[in-house]
Amino acid sequence: MGFIDSFNQNFIEQDRWKYLLNGLLTTLFITFFAVLLGMLLGFLVAIIRSTYLRTKRMLIPDIICRVYLTVIRGTPVVVQLLIIYFVIFGSVNINKVFVAVLAFGINSGAYVAEIVRGGIMAVDDGQLEAGRSLGLSYRQTMIHIVIPQALKTVLPALANEAIVLLKETSVAGYIAIADLTKGGDIIRSQTFSPFLPLISVAVIYLVLVMFLTSLVNVLERRLAANDKR
Amino acid sequence: MISVKGLKKSFNELQVLKGIDEEINKGEKIVIIGPSGSGKSTFLRCLNLMETPTEGSIVFDGTEITHLHDREINRIRQRMGMVFQHFNLFPHLTIRKNITLAPVLLKKMSQEQADAKAEELLRRVGLPDKADTYPAMLSGGQKQRIAIARALAMDPEVILFDEPTSALDPEMVGEVLELMKQLADDGMTMVVVTHEMGFAREVASRVLFMAEGTILEQNTPDKFFTSPENRRLKDFLSKVL
Repeated sequence: MGFIDSFNQNFIEQDRWKYLLNGLLTTLFITFFAVLLGMLLGFLVAIIRSTYLRTKRMLIPDIICRVYLTVIRGTPVVVQLLIIYFVIFGSVNINKVFVAVLAFGINSGAYVAEIVRGGIMAVDDGQLEAGRSLGLSYRQTMIHIVIPQALKTVLPALANEAIVLLKETSVAGYIAIADLTKGGDIIRSQTFSPFLPLISVAVIYLVLVMFLTSLVNVLERRLAANDKR
Repeated sequence: MISVKGLKKSFNELQVLKGIDEEINKGEKIVIIGPSGSGKSTFLRCLNLMETPTEGSIVFDGTEITHLHDREINRIRQRMGMVFQHFNLFPHLTIRKNITLAPVLLKKMSQEQADAKAEELLRRVGLPDKADTYPAMLSGGQKQRIAIARALAMDPEVILFDEPTSALDPEMVGEVLELMKQLADDGMTMVVVTHEMGFAREVASRVLFMAEGTILEQNTPDKFFTSPENRRLKDFLSKVL
């Protein structure tokens, strides 16, 4: 069977290309909202943790955060996804894509938290002192002085975390979500020709990642240029 | 204005301040000298509660401040400026924003009023054309002058200087000391930890000598430098003068 025939069979017949397109849209949807959730959680945890480390306040929230970080970073994301779907939401009828956003967001939050905490702790203590010496509260000093500086240093790392998350959502098929990976796999199971559908899936991920990486590189260059002012 | 009684401070096992009693009056220019590790900076940092005293009391303008809540401490700090050895300017903000951030956030002034005040302060510290630049573009001496302008923007009643010229290249020390002299002449109450003996002699109304966590001797600069009594002080002066 020639390439043209194989192409027709895998993508054109029965509009099979739609598996890939819809899968891609689902993947992008899950990634986008999981990144948002992850950033939100990550910042919250990072601020709690760095506040505890610097001021010894918020011990109880800090302990909760540490448990969260240890559990999430110490177990595979697929297992977390399965537990959230089959155990936590096992007895209720719930939108699977929502579950995926939740699972990947909670997972990503743990990594974002450590990146952001690193950024906050890397800001010189003198910055916090200068803010406090002027009479600003801890919160005002964090919001206006420390976090903007931390954000600038961790922005590239955060963008990379989003790129990693895009690839990690490929396990969404474990709870029968028709994401990009699952889309390719469905075509394979219908046509019994694995090469084209799976390679196509890989190429789509690769192009997306290369595109996003080039955006991060532009961002890094802009930030570096800013430092020289 | 500031009354310190029995002030002690320990970091874990290490006792840095071993009981300080001191009275600082309005308009005074106190210069604190002493060998490194003597507790000078810690004493200064206790005055605006950047360090929490272990024991003793500090009364500022009639209020005992060592056991205040955070919010009240913030209010006290608005009335006490501080200038740091390493300037600690905010690198992500323009010079104008560095100066206006605190007064605007703390609702002392509107942004317009604060901007006008910043212009005036920049003229006063001799850097009127730097409002829109960033700290990274300034020399060390210029940074410290901006840091002083930033402290002045809050209209403090006293300014604490923590070794303000120690991190500067020698040729930049003069411009900062000159500005501090101007402040002194304008009647600002100042507490200065420094190694600049010339400044102490010329500007101080009182010089304190600290060693091993206590004030060993204090006097007017004249007597302090010409007829020191404490043996440790004589020793110290013979090394630095």
